[in-house]
Amino acid sequence: MDSALDRAADLLAQARLPVFGGLFTDVNGAAAALALAQKLGGVIDHAASSGTSKAARVMRETGSTPASLGEVRNRADTVVLIGDGPRERDSKLLEKLFPAKSLPRPGDNKRELIVIRAKKGKTPKGVRTMELDGKHALPDLVALLGAAARELPFEVRDAALAKKVLSAGKRLRESAFVVFVYDPAELEEPVLHTVLETVRHLVKSTRAATLSMSAPGNGDGVNLCSIWTCGLPMRTSFAGGAPENNMWAFEAERLLKSGEADALVWIDALDGAEASPPTRAFRGIPAVVLSSKPVKAGRDDVVIEVGAAAADHDAEIYLPPIAGIGVVKASSGASKKPTVADVLKEIGALIDKKGAA
Amino acid sequence: MLVQLKGGRVIDPANNRDAVGDVYVENGRIVEKPAGRKPDEVHDVSGKIVMAGAIDVHSHIAGTNVTLGRQLMPELPLIAAAEGQPILPSTAAWGAYATGLRYAEMGYTTVIEPAMIPTHAIQAHKEMASIPVIDVAGLVVLGNDDYTLNLLRKGKAKSDELKDYVAWTLAHSKALGLKVINAGGSEAFKFNARTFDLDEEVPEYGVTSRGIVEAMQKVVADLGVPHPPHVHTNNLGIAGNVETAVATLEATQGHPIHLAHIQFYGYGNEGDKGFSSGAPALMEAINKHKNATVDVGQVLFGQTVTISGDILRQFDGRRAANPKKWVINQAEGNGTGVVPYNYKRKSFVNALQWAIGLEIFLLADDLWRVLFSTDHPNGALFTRYPEIFHLLMDRDERARWFDSLPEASRQVSGLAGISRELTLSELAIITRAAPAKVLGMTDRGHLAPGAVADVAVYTDQKNKTKMFAAADLVFKSGNVVVRKGTVVDVTWGHCFHVDPGFDSQINKRVCSFYDTYYGADPSWFGVTETVSDHPDRFATIRCAS
Repeated sequence: MDSALDRAADLLAQARLPVFGGLFTDVNGAAAALALAQKLGGVIDHAASSGTSKAARVMRETGSTPASLGEVRNRADTVVLIGDGPRERDSKLLEKLFPAKSLPRPGDNKRELIVIRAKKGKTPKGVRTMELDGKHALPDLVALLGAAARELPFEVRDAALAKKVLSAGKRLRESAFVVFVYDPAELEEPVLHTVLETVRHLVKSTRAATLSMSAPGNGDGVNLCSIWTCGLPMRTSFAGGAPENNMWAFEAERLLKSGEADALVWIDALDGAEASPPTRAFRGIPAVVLSSKPVKAGRDDVVIEVGAAAADHDAEIYLPPIAGIGVVKASSGASKKPTVADVLKEIGALIDKKGAA
Repeated sequence: MLVQLKGGRVIDPANNRDAVGDVYVENGRIVEKPAGRKPDEVHDVSGKIVMAGAIDVHSHIAGTNVTLGRQLMPELPLIAAAEGQPILPSTAAWGAYATGLRYAEMGYTTVIEPAMIPTHAIQAHKEMASIPVIDVAGLVVLGNDDYTLNLLRKGKAKSDELKDYVAWTLAHSKALGLKVINAGGSEAFKFNARTFDLDEEVPEYGVTSRGIVEAMQKVVADLGVPHPPHVHTNNLGIAGNVETAVATLEATQGHPIHLAHIQFYGYGNEGDKGFSSGAPALMEAINKHKNATVDVGQVLFGQTVTISGDILRQFDGRRAANPKKWVINQAEGNGTGVVPYNYKRKSFVNALQWAIGLEIFLLADDLWRVLFSTDHPNGALFTRYPEIFHLLMDRDERARWFDSLPEASRQVSGLAGISRELTLSELAIITRAAPAKVLGMTDRGHLAPGAVADVAVYTDQKNKTKMFAAADLVFKSGNVVVRKGTVVDVTWGHCFHVDPGFDSQINKRVCSFYDTYYGADPSWFGVTETVSDHPDRFATIRCAS
């Protein structure tokens, strides 16, 4: 273990641009990774940051209108489910969104579900469901519904679809609380903008919001930690001193493929979730791998076994039911395995020591 | 180790001290001059001003809402720096780490985060634990949550259960006190109300804003929590709202209350533009209600971002967003609104807001009840406090600013007629002694033996902006952490909280509530010692009962 830490410290101290990827870890692990990346002038990116990056950029350009899962399940009378992403992220999502019992809810409408371009699935009992699909692609359907909600004139050849879209638009206007549910990883930024614009139109006369599915692997928790640490989300570089964010330039996989990065710290240590390593990640670019699972690594890679957060040790991670960071107790009792935070702090201390020597 | 701060002018209003003398420090505390012992370390501070470390009673430095603000507005420090505001042009400049350093450099040693969300208390504590040097505490927000409202449902007030619930929430979130933000207003927003007054009823629950605040005052008093309910009242920022503030004060019936960022309620509706200073009327009421304390929420011109659990107000305020982007976050309890804002010197309204805040300070009979704040970042970034100290202490500086305001604002403002200049002792009251007293943190805000050795040393000079922007020397718990305005030792402070007792039955009830309505287990958001890896992170402030 100690020699592995030493080798890791040597490898990283010599790196010109180390990338911290994977980051399937708890908030403490993320904080330690951020501290080390800052020390070394590296880059941080989470393996499931494609959605959070898009959402972050849309937000800082024009804002956001999030609702917590709790508010949606207790108060929304109309849920617009966009695409397959949300139910792929959480197969019980609709049960959660339409519970049997709820807090006092605005308006007198019965609850209704509008599904845009998603595979047929079980819909909640007693909830009227309307499906918008036909031959149109998802972005078109979102745009059509947005136009209908805003009462903008348009023509669509598919008369049956047009009728449905107009009726759905009317329903949105007459709802007491409309919530659009999506996974930002599945949608392109213009679609996110269209949804946001629709919400911003609706709130002039009623209540509306968005429910964005959280990223796997504590992607949202790691992202939040990055923001309170350096003011910026995933895909941030500390190479220039002041942190700089760029969702294209500082994507881990691109930096590894292009050869700009010359070392990788790969972290995969969360119970029940697996971060798939970037293509060729472990080939050619020296890596320090912190994993709670068996790892196929290159000969020169440094592999350090760590405990799985939420299994081997208590873990603070993003929990969708509270729409925030909560604590999950270790499921398998006390473990002697070090945490990601322990290991990264130790490596940081070794680098300091070597630097001072 | 015995440390002597030798020969400075010691300003310690809590002990009626303003005289040249020495201050002794040992084992992290202020001590009497020990007879017959030579100090191990002497700091010659002759010609300097020596005060207790400053305490900020209301500054949004951590938690979901602040981080939502950082997400919306990462460029805030860059814009502010470009305008000449004293902040580094880096997104990290309003991150947790920089927050601790900058506060310490100004001589602040304790800061209160005033809006922890119960279900997100872990994030707030995680962030606070990443803020170095200073001590911190959080106030937890209730009053728009369905559990509370259900207990206060018209005619069915179950006060014992409310008492247990408040105590449980304070303990579960490791909070120092209770915050109430637009009581009932955020809940009404969920039912599509867009305004909410003191005596309006919350839909479905029937209780009024006044009823919620009264109930919370009673509960907090019964629990013996030292800090009274910290209340952000209704109608923030609206012309004519001084009536609401006065009515809220009348409604307290003499029970203790702390009204936050009162400047935002100091507005009359007179004159051609329907907006005028309500400061004289407001201060008449505050001067009269001796059990009320306030912090001011002073504004300064320039770019900032407003972050608030008053979602109803922020929703309305979104139209004034500058830059044009905003967040409305609809969640359990209050939710959040984040609206960037740039206070303009040339704006009639902004200029009056600036003047009203200063009037409030300067018209106070009793500065022990009128505490310093900008409601950071809502009125101004905390890094700008020294500019406000300057304005309060120097009427020429005030006149210089005043003369640059629009004529229409100058004509209706009474500020020019006020010649008062705060003394160093008075400044120490509003930034040290009074906050400590109001928070029940008896071991700070003063320099009597036994107090924690949080000490700030400044070079006395006419330019108070310069004087207070960079302390010569700051001790935190007896350690030198700042020299010549720069942090020289990154230490880690404590987090203070109360721990009132409650009937354990409340646990079951709260668990059942969260399970039924949220599919969640309250243990997920319970704050424990392990939220920080610094040893002895938490310290308890005792409740009276």
